[in-house]
Amino acid sequence: MDLAWILFKTLVFPGVTFLLLVIFATFYLERKLVADMHGRTGPYYVGPYGILQTVADIFKILQKEVIIHREADKFLFLIVPAVAFIMVSLVAAFIPYDKNLWIVSTPYDLVISLALLTSLPAIFLFAGWVSKSKYPFIGGVRVINQLISGEIPLWLAGLSVALWYGTFNYVEIVEKFDIIGFLVNIVGFLIFLVAILIVADRPPFDIPEAEQEIVYGFLTEYTGVGYLLLAGAKFLEVFVLAAMTVTLFLGGFKGPFLPGWVWFFIKVFAIYYLAFAIRASTPRIRLDQLIRFTWTVLVPLSLLNILLVLAVKAL
Amino acid sequence: MYKGAQIITQPVGKEGDLMVLNWGVQHPASGPMRIKVWLDGEKIVKVENDPGYVTRNLEKMLEYRTWENAVVNVERICFIDDLGTILNWALAVEKLADVEVPKNVQYFRVILAEVGRIVSHLIGIGGMFGALGVATPMMWVLALREYYLDFLEHYSGYRISTAAIVPGGVRFEPKKEDFDLLRKAVEETERRWDDYKEVFIDNPTLVERYKGIGIIPKELVFELGLRGPVARASGVDYDLRKRYPYSSYEDFDFKVVVKEEGDAYARFLVVLEEIEESVKIIKQALEGMPEGDKWKIRMPKKIKAGEAYSAVEWARGGIEYHVVSDGGTGAYRAKISAPSFMNIWALEYIAPGHKLADLATIFASLYICHGDLDR
Repeated sequence: MDLAWILFKTLVFPGVTFLLLVIFATFYLERKLVADMHGRTGPYYVGPYGILQTVADIFKILQKEVIIHREADKFLFLIVPAVAFIMVSLVAAFIPYDKNLWIVSTPYDLVISLALLTSLPAIFLFAGWVSKSKYPFIGGVRVINQLISGEIPLWLAGLSVALWYGTFNYVEIVEKFDIIGFLVNIVGFLIFLVAILIVADRPPFDIPEAEQEIVYGFLTEYTGVGYLLLAGAKFLEVFVLAAMTVTLFLGGFKGPFLPGWVWFFIKVFAIYYLAFAIRASTPRIRLDQLIRFTWTVLVPLSLLNILLVLAVKAL
Repeated sequence: MYKGAQIITQPVGKEGDLMVLNWGVQHPASGPMRIKVWLDGEKIVKVENDPGYVTRNLEKMLEYRTWENAVVNVERICFIDDLGTILNWALAVEKLADVEVPKNVQYFRVILAEVGRIVSHLIGIGGMFGALGVATPMMWVLALREYYLDFLEHYSGYRISTAAIVPGGVRFEPKKEDFDLLRKAVEETERRWDDYKEVFIDNPTLVERYKGIGIIPKELVFELGLRGPVARASGVDYDLRKRYPYSSYEDFDFKVVVKEEGDAYARFLVVLEEIEESVKIIKQALEGMPEGDKWKIRMPKKIKAGEAYSAVEWARGGIEYHVVSDGGTGAYRAKISAPSFMNIWALEYIAPGHKLADLATIFASLYICHGDLDR
């Protein structure tokens, strides 16, 4: 019985199948909501409300020939997308969707997920490197530049939460969440929000994939399955980061009347909506502007935030 | 002085590790032209333009058309604002044939030319935002553009490439519904304009990205012969509509938008504010439209031998034709001088020293149309 339950959780919900659904849903929601802000309709014809458009697109991509650059390292070129996808999926295993709905729960949830997310840029740099092409290479280098400056505020803001609640475990953090915890961590929440946009390459920080500058960054040379896995990894990263924000700062599955997982997804959707609204309204900034912003504003602010949290806790 | 030719032949790794990047022909922001970029890290060291991928030999094709048929070729100089180019052709041919069109035709031509300018400038603004990876303004201006295209469609039957102006007049007699549609478009523009300005001008990220980028000094404008909004953004008060009025432009009250800064943001503002001026001109022309029921004068099939030069202020700057007739049914030779081809060369001077990310914004702010770049 226990084994069956664990298998169900790993393979169906909240495991692999669910994560694939998340990719579909993110893709669809992004298109539909951004289209709404554009004054367009978005996907419309395939399925009711165009829901199946994403499915059609993904199957179209799967049919594409996998083209490998003549000088690219064949093995590494093919393995990198899978590695990226698996690493992001691993983070999702720690997220508590409901009181008893998680795959893994350890005393070090937060540290492990942040560590996994922090090692992603190396994979993306590698994706650009093994493509043996100029635009992917520039994209890979930009990923490193951007994420190093984005992840330090992410870590610091995340740590301030751990300091306040005195634990790294997601479930415990959510259990201990209350309105005072929210108010104390509100600066950390805002820093975390900006930092997840930077880390997930969301506009206005989509510098490593800046289409008008370097085509598609490290994804440029990928086609077919490889592209799908890499792009899927990016979509999952958005989901994972949004889920982490909800868990750390907004009380995860906590909420009145409705079941916990419903609250969880409502909150994740709110974060999504914010990210899409920012995408539809804000032009991309430049890499040097971003680095100046993170190191002169975001990092000092997150350090001050930790001091603030410690001071309030000492009271 | 940097010598580009030496760098190409040397292997990568020497000479300060420069990377040569082909920014185009197949690139999301370049359009059908190649820009060769020498990069030191993210910094642009040198830029070389390589246009010519969509050459159609329009000048040669004009020699095989009759005077009126040539309109179809001329309007394909750039599809975004096709009306200015046809107007210039009509003016050149009328000059050759010594024909003066009636006042009402001149006013209606002004309306058409200004509609073309608005349509083109709207897309230009959307493109300048598009270079920053945000598509919302483009969608909004395209929605507004539809009102003007409705007018063009109702009048001429086509949304773009209208062939609405012909030597000797305009193609059809404008109906009352045409004017109604145009009034609706103008009203819609004025209704939405404040919202648009709020989004477009006060956009902090746009200011951050465009201000102080790609400054064109006034001397460079004269040296390279830059035209249109690009020249006016650098403090050169030059507009053919005011300097050498044609088609009754002297009757209208409008101001030439001039900015002193010369950076990409100034070029953006010039394009934006010229839309307001165009709207003003259209309103004046609609109110003061002279009486007259002759909309097209019969032009001779053959025009006597001679030469004519004509220039109009087009959306992207002054466009000039030099037309030679040998007494035949079409042009013996026609030379076109178009603004985008002049303006693109500023890129080689202003891009070096900026980051690679700025190349897209500078390129967009130069307001290039690849059609008249290659012709």
